[in-house]
Amino acid sequence: MQPSSKKDRKLRQQMVCYLSPNLQIQPPLPIIYSRKLAFPPKFKAVRQAWVSNMDTVEEEKLGLIDLHPEVFAERPRVDIIHENVRWQQLYRHVSYANTKVRYEVRGGGRKPRPQKGSGRSRHGSIRSPIWRGGGIVHGPRSPTPYFYMLSFNARLNGLRSTLSAKLAQDDLHIVDSLDIPTDDPSYLEKLVEERGWGPAVLFVDDNDIMPLNITAASDVHGHYNLMPVYGLNVHSMLKHHTLVLTLAAVERIEERLLFHLNRNDAAEAGRKHRLDSL
Amino acid sequence: MASAAARSFVFRQHINTCRLDFASCLNIKSFYSSYSANPKEKSPEHYTQYHEVSSDNWKFVERLKPPTVVPSFPKNGSYFSDWTPPPDTPPNLPYFVKRTKNFMVPVYLNFEAIRNQRKITMVKHIEGDIWAMEKDIKSHLEEVTKRPVVSQVHEVGMYIKFRGDYALHVKKWLLNAGF
Repeated sequence: MQPSSKKDRKLRQQMVCYLSPNLQIQPPLPIIYSRKLAFPPKFKAVRQAWVSNMDTVEEEKLGLIDLHPEVFAERPRVDIIHENVRWQQLYRHVSYANTKVRYEVRGGGRKPRPQKGSGRSRHGSIRSPIWRGGGIVHGPRSPTPYFYMLSFNARLNGLRSTLSAKLAQDDLHIVDSLDIPTDDPSYLEKLVEERGWGPAVLFVDDNDIMPLNITAASDVHGHYNLMPVYGLNVHSMLKHHTLVLTLAAVERIEERLLFHLNRNDAAEAGRKHRLDSL
Repeated sequence: MASAAARSFVFRQHINTCRLDFASCLNIKSFYSSYSANPKEKSPEHYTQYHEVSSDNWKFVERLKPPTVVPSFPKNGSYFSDWTPPPDTPPNLPYFVKRTKNFMVPVYLNFEAIRNQRKITMVKHIEGDIWAMEKDIKSHLEEVTKRPVVSQVHEVGMYIKFRGDYALHVKKWLLNAGF
């Protein structure tokens, strides 16, 4: 199947209209999506973003939607973003570096020379730490985990800061859905090239089973990645130059983040990963 | 319609080079056993019957459960405590102080330092010109207490700290300012 262009699509629509007038065709553009914001902001200006399509290589703006300022227009806290990235890299890190302690080094059981009489210094073993080739006192001991949990609010504000930074830097795009007409990998390449999206693109949808075509097309490219909303994280958002959210993903992200910002039992949020509790 | 066709499990020839195997990739839930598969399990007539009561009574259960999200305050105008609701229009100032999610004024008295009990008054959730706000509050506190006031402006975290217990003074000032 050939990748469709804007002209081909308009021609097909006209032909379909002529041949079967009862068939429903796409309403004329722009289709304005009016979103109802949960916890409507009182004094902060609502941000707006275009909704594009993925059907054609050329971008078609389907409409304009409102974005909640507390999720997408928060003052980006660079220190919190850094904390999140550090946490994501470090919590799963296990150091396998190992050094032998004096009792693990081969040999060293016998006293090298008698305590008195030789005129030389006294020693108990040839593998003590002051000897060359001896055991290491405070060296790395394998395996050493570096697991820790960043506080819930640090992770929450990390997501808010990163989403805000992405929107402010024109690296956030919203599409209606991830359905593309062909599973040809070059379709995605041309699309991304045409629209000026970054070398690496992260597509986020609410569902974790993505449409077949985009899965096949992006599987070849390591820099086009698909992600469900529950996998959204600061490191991935920063690693990929462009973040592409579907409308369903935007709804879900806003609903979840706003719930956590306005929940009645804030203590419960951080209860899951408390290391000091049994 | 388009997505239904797209999710069909037809494996096309020209994507043979792809490492995809949808039969194994798809996360289909399968239940390997159930109560009815057990030979000891009897048919439903042998067990306790139940009948559905009117679902109108569910409201009595629901009103016992705490609200998941902070509910909005009653807007009748009379409140028994010192609390005043946040204003409908912001004051005409170069800065703004947002209420917390429980509609409280964000002024906190912290005890910082381990050895000596150093009291620090903290104002959070500041937006706008933080330095102008610090100047205004500081001059007010020095007027009221007739002594110099030491303050810290944290531009990244957007909070101001005053060394001393000025929580009530700062709260009153914020409420009078219209936050």
